[in-house]
Amino acid sequence: MATAMAPTAVERAVLEEEFRWLLHDEVHAVLRQLQDILKEASLRFTLPGSGMEGPARQENFILGSSGTDQVKGVLTLQGDALSQADVNLKMPRNNQLLHFAFREDKQWKLQQIQDARNHVSQAIYLLNNRDESYQFRTGAEVLKLMDAVMLQLTRARNRLTTPATLTLPEIAASGLTRMFTPALPSDLLVNVYINLNKLCLTVYQLHTLQPNSTKNFRPAGGSVLHSPGAMFEWGSQRLEVSHVHKVESVIPWLNDALVFFTVSLQLCQQLKDKISVFSSYWSYRPF
Amino acid sequence: MRSSLQAVTLWGKKAPSHSITTIMITDDQQTIVTGSQEGQLCLWSLSPDLKISAKELLFGHSASVTCVARARDFSKQPYVVSAAENGEMCVWNVTNGQCVEKATLPYRHTAICYYHCSFRMTGEGWLLCCGEYQDILIIDAKTLVLVHTFTSSQSPDWINCMCIVHSMRIQEDSLLVVSVTGELKVWDLSSSINSIQEKQDVYEKESKFLDSLNCRTIRFCTYTERLLLVVFSRCWKVYDYCDFSLLRTEVSGSGQFFAGGEVLAAHRIIIWTEDGHSYIYQLLNSGLSKSIYPADGRVLKETIYPHLLCSTSVQENKLDQSLPCVMGYMNERKEPFYKVLFSGEVSGRITLWHIPDVPVSKFDGSPGEIPITTTWTLQDNFDKHHIMSQSIIDYFSGFKDGAGTVVVTSSEYVPGLDKLVCGCEDGNIFITQALSAAKAGLLEGGSLLKDSLPYKVLKGHHQSVISLLYPHGLSSKLDQSWLVSGDQDSCVIMWDIFTEEILHKFFLEAGPVTSLLMPPENFRLRSNQVVFCVCGDHSVALLHLEERRFLFCARKHLFPVKMIKWHPVEDFLIVGCADDSVYIWEIETGTLERHETGERARIILNCCDDSQFLKPESVLSVASETQKHKSVEQRPSSSYQFGPIPCPGLQVESSCKVADAKSFSGPFNVLPVKTKWSNIGFHILLFDLENLVELLLSTPVCDSDPPNSFYGSEILRRAKSTVEKKTLTLKRNKTACGSLSAEAQAKPVSEAPAQGDNSIVVLEEYDGIKRQKKMKSSKKTHPKPSRKFDANLIIDAAKLLLSCLLPWGVDKELDNLCIKHLNILKLQGPVSLGLASNEDHFSLMLPGWDLCNAEVKKDYSKVNLFSRKVLELSNKYTSTLPNQAGMPRGLENNCDATIIYLLRRLFLVNKLVNMPVDLAYGIDSSFKMDSVHNKVKSPGNDILHISSFYSYLRNGKNEPHLPEADVSLLKLISCWRDQSVQVTEAIQAVLLAEVQQHMKTLRKTAVNSEPGSVTENDNYQMMQMRPKMECTEELELQCITDSLSLQTSASLVKHDSDSNSANFQDTEDVPDRCVVKESESPGE
Repeated sequence: MATAMAPTAVERAVLEEEFRWLLHDEVHAVLRQLQDILKEASLRFTLPGSGMEGPARQENFILGSSGTDQVKGVLTLQGDALSQADVNLKMPRNNQLLHFAFREDKQWKLQQIQDARNHVSQAIYLLNNRDESYQFRTGAEVLKLMDAVMLQLTRARNRLTTPATLTLPEIAASGLTRMFTPALPSDLLVNVYINLNKLCLTVYQLHTLQPNSTKNFRPAGGSVLHSPGAMFEWGSQRLEVSHVHKVESVIPWLNDALVFFTVSLQLCQQLKDKISVFSSYWSYRPF
Repeated sequence: MRSSLQAVTLWGKKAPSHSITTIMITDDQQTIVTGSQEGQLCLWSLSPDLKISAKELLFGHSASVTCVARARDFSKQPYVVSAAENGEMCVWNVTNGQCVEKATLPYRHTAICYYHCSFRMTGEGWLLCCGEYQDILIIDAKTLVLVHTFTSSQSPDWINCMCIVHSMRIQEDSLLVVSVTGELKVWDLSSSINSIQEKQDVYEKESKFLDSLNCRTIRFCTYTERLLLVVFSRCWKVYDYCDFSLLRTEVSGSGQFFAGGEVLAAHRIIIWTEDGHSYIYQLLNSGLSKSIYPADGRVLKETIYPHLLCSTSVQENKLDQSLPCVMGYMNERKEPFYKVLFSGEVSGRITLWHIPDVPVSKFDGSPGEIPITTTWTLQDNFDKHHIMSQSIIDYFSGFKDGAGTVVVTSSEYVPGLDKLVCGCEDGNIFITQALSAAKAGLLEGGSLLKDSLPYKVLKGHHQSVISLLYPHGLSSKLDQSWLVSGDQDSCVIMWDIFTEEILHKFFLEAGPVTSLLMPPENFRLRSNQVVFCVCGDHSVALLHLEERRFLFCARKHLFPVKMIKWHPVEDFLIVGCADDSVYIWEIETGTLERHETGERARIILNCCDDSQFLKPESVLSVASETQKHKSVEQRPSSSYQFGPIPCPGLQVESSCKVADAKSFSGPFNVLPVKTKWSNIGFHILLFDLENLVELLLSTPVCDSDPPNSFYGSEILRRAKSTVEKKTLTLKRNKTACGSLSAEAQAKPVSEAPAQGDNSIVVLEEYDGIKRQKKMKSSKKTHPKPSRKFDANLIIDAAKLLLSCLLPWGVDKELDNLCIKHLNILKLQGPVSLGLASNEDHFSLMLPGWDLCNAEVKKDYSKVNLFSRKVLELSNKYTSTLPNQAGMPRGLENNCDATIIYLLRRLFLVNKLVNMPVDLAYGIDSSFKMDSVHNKVKSPGNDILHISSFYSYLRNGKNEPHLPEADVSLLKLISCWRDQSVQVTEAIQAVLLAEVQQHMKTLRKTAVNSEPGSVTENDNYQMMQMRPKMECTEELELQCITDSLSLQTSASLVKHDSDSNSANFQDTEDVPDRCVVKESESPGE
């Protein structure tokens, strides 16, 4: 069995030559490709200083759900911040129409987008430090760089794919509820988050539990989306979610960004795999 | 990791890789602390003449270390804090390498600043942290609990860097930060302490957009209290602190990235780059400038022009291309200290430049060059002290072609057989007796052992063997002779280790077999004998051992396999990959059942959270990082088919934690450790003091020692009777014990659940019935009951441990006596001892640690002396020791009993020094009470304390001493703890004192019955010396009894030993020393 035998001297020389090529040429080619992809991704996030000067452009998203039309929202996204929001709510009982909007002076940072953007720029920064002029000497060096880049990219992706799991008191305490004019009535809670490529708005309608209620009070834990019946304590009151409305809208550029993340993660892994083929060499004789 | 664990490291010739990611020098300029990408911290000692030597490697983080920083007022407590990529934080004591506090928060820090304001703050101060989250976190420096945050009202974002400005002029501390988008923000620090403590929101006082990205450093000039230096990766800028107006921008050259800077003096700054260059500038006032107008139209400001004074030279071989590194600068104006620029490279190299107080350019005005003062790597330590860097299988190299050592690429220890299996680079597998191998490597005369050392070679692989598995160790139902090994070439071989034959060879054709795994015993898979091979191409191959059959290979994974789990009911294989996707395979048919990503995948992996086998924490931490993600808390809904059935999981990529008390059952164990990204591994010998003592008492150990078997039976009887006595006293004290054991139970020493009642066991361990119970319970968790351990093995392990702990060469004669009467061998060189702080925080001495202490330097006769302090302590201990009752009578001539006695003593000391502070306080206070009122009439609580403590003590001692002596000894030892004497120091000191004491009595008996049986003619010279010795000895004894003062006796002993060495110099000392010198010199 030829493959099972230890490589001969000639084979070794060929392998070493091949490895040298991998370290000196191929790695940089892949890094360049990665940089291009991530630049593209960062443009989607309108990174400040990445060529687009001045205030980030504003985009309007109309949020709705396929089922009912009880809640409608128009959210304006400016970079990583919500600059305007209009929420229309049709009360289920009396068909009364409620309208809320952001106060003029307020903005709401979408931390998920900000974090994802920052992770991408961290990854770009890591790659920028290893431009063409840099010579990789060992495979381990490449693996370490790839691990660091992949960590940033995985985190960037995870920030978008995993919205924060909040408890109801946390939602109630968040600044978002205090940003509307007219002020939100006490029986409404609002939460905005990113889930994958979608901008989601949830409106919770609450009713107070009577102190003498026979219902077994169990405060709900953290969740992305609470279901009707979830209970919590706020102030001195015990509240229960009676209705949940969730509307969402696809943000096209987030979709692009997620695709870029996946592609670049795969590129990184492929490069790691290529390096690992030579692992029996790089670990013992760095050159 | 139990506190009674003693560790000895066998490093091998190659230093573990240490890619420095962060570096700092402690305030006393004696220690350099580096953090590495591999997750370890390294402590390097820095001598007064700026020589570096690596001292200790600290294990504790399972991910790359992102920053280290001071964590206390350094003159009071030498603590530093480290943070890792996955949110782990640790506070370390840098003098002894102990982990003081640890926490895992869902935040990744990139910089930490210690802040303490003594007159406004209670507690130990704050750690101000920034990193991959918005704004600044305030973490309590003592408890590592999140206190509060500094929040920004304007465009909150991640913070890149920060600095604390302490202005004398306005008597206010401020925090200056720069965010990733280049926004400078200022918070009041000292005046907002109260609001922070009351959890009120504190917003920034000022903010300004700086118009540059990637800020690396911000520094305030304390000399002028005016200038602000901000270093970005492509430029550095100088601002006026008063109004933040820009005074100067200096852009970097092509391909150059700035990494940081510091203010050296008034108008003098140093800037360094990513690739290790640095430049010192004088900032010249160039008067009014036309180019820069202040934005607000006020009067023109002066600008600043930088003049390059000096640059630092870089290493020769780096000229073609510099390695990326992290740098720092330390400004000390006080006398014995230096101004030092330091850098740590990814390659693990540390470089120091001594910056002159007044750097000047050359006469012709061109910039001067500051030469490198010192440079050092871990490998340098290993090369210099190659005697200490013994690997456990070094001696095999002799049998090989003779050139170079064999590189061990994988190893596995089989505790039941005391066999160490090492897979090598050349495809051979060595099997050897671990204990003998360790002895051959560590002890003098080991070369004799080497020749007689039995070992086997399994030949079958053609490429390096990179994974090993001993199935019987995981499931006792499997055949004891099986061994499975996988190599680089995708070949898996099943061996019979007794007959050395190949049972079966599997060719997987799936890349290198990176790890071999097996489901744990308590998990019933349809067939329990399936081995899972994780391969280089991310596939998982299933092999059936009994049937010698290849089941199937799961090949669809795009990313490395991180986790393997089984679903017992459905017979599914669940594979978690690095990209957080999950693949579910049907084991029966080998088909891919489903593939999930994202949330679903996480839930599937999480559903096995309560499996007892391996907690998947560290794997999932990647998914559940950053704030408020709080992982996925909701339980998998019932609609999902993988309900709450706990199914076990296996982590594929084990971090190099020195952990797993669970897997460690015996008194002696060998732990192979491998760091990330490298094939270089080393071995740690672990000795469990408690378990050793326990086992030595329970087994008829004396049979094992032919020369002393004469005394065996008698000793056994004696030992038994003392044990019985102890049980009696124990029972009497049981009621009194109550309070202590209750406290002991509450103490926070983290122990694996299996050993949860450890501290109480101390009180009960001699109770036979209880012991058996414990054994039974341990049987449940470990497949192998500890009973099985061979008596020879135990006594050998005990002897090796004593050899490793004893400070050799303090007294030549004592050495010889030890060798003779304790039957232990002298060390070849100092050993690398390890110290366990808790379950998975561990510090390991590096080769050459003994030369870190300046006083011990170049004293080659002393081998393994931990520090000069040991002698002092041991003298103190000796003087406190009751003269007569030093050693129970009748034990003098039996080495095993003595060894047991010594080990118990060490166990006690270890326990005392390691005792948690709150418990210790109780004892201390009771001591004080005792000494103040001699008649104890204080609250009953204290009486309980004392009496219970006596019982505690008696268990650790062989003989019921007089209470006064006990108390004074205990006082002494607890005193040591308060004086922050290190555990190793205390142990060594007590051991030395006890051995001295013991040998003293031995000498006497030897004289009394001089022609008697005890002495053999080995040490003929010694015999002749004895009369002389006897005289001095008696003198000393008298002195001790006469004068109770510590000082006098101590000095006397010293004097005594001096004269001894003078006496012997002609006969023994000189040749011996020569030998040592000879062997030492090639390293220099």
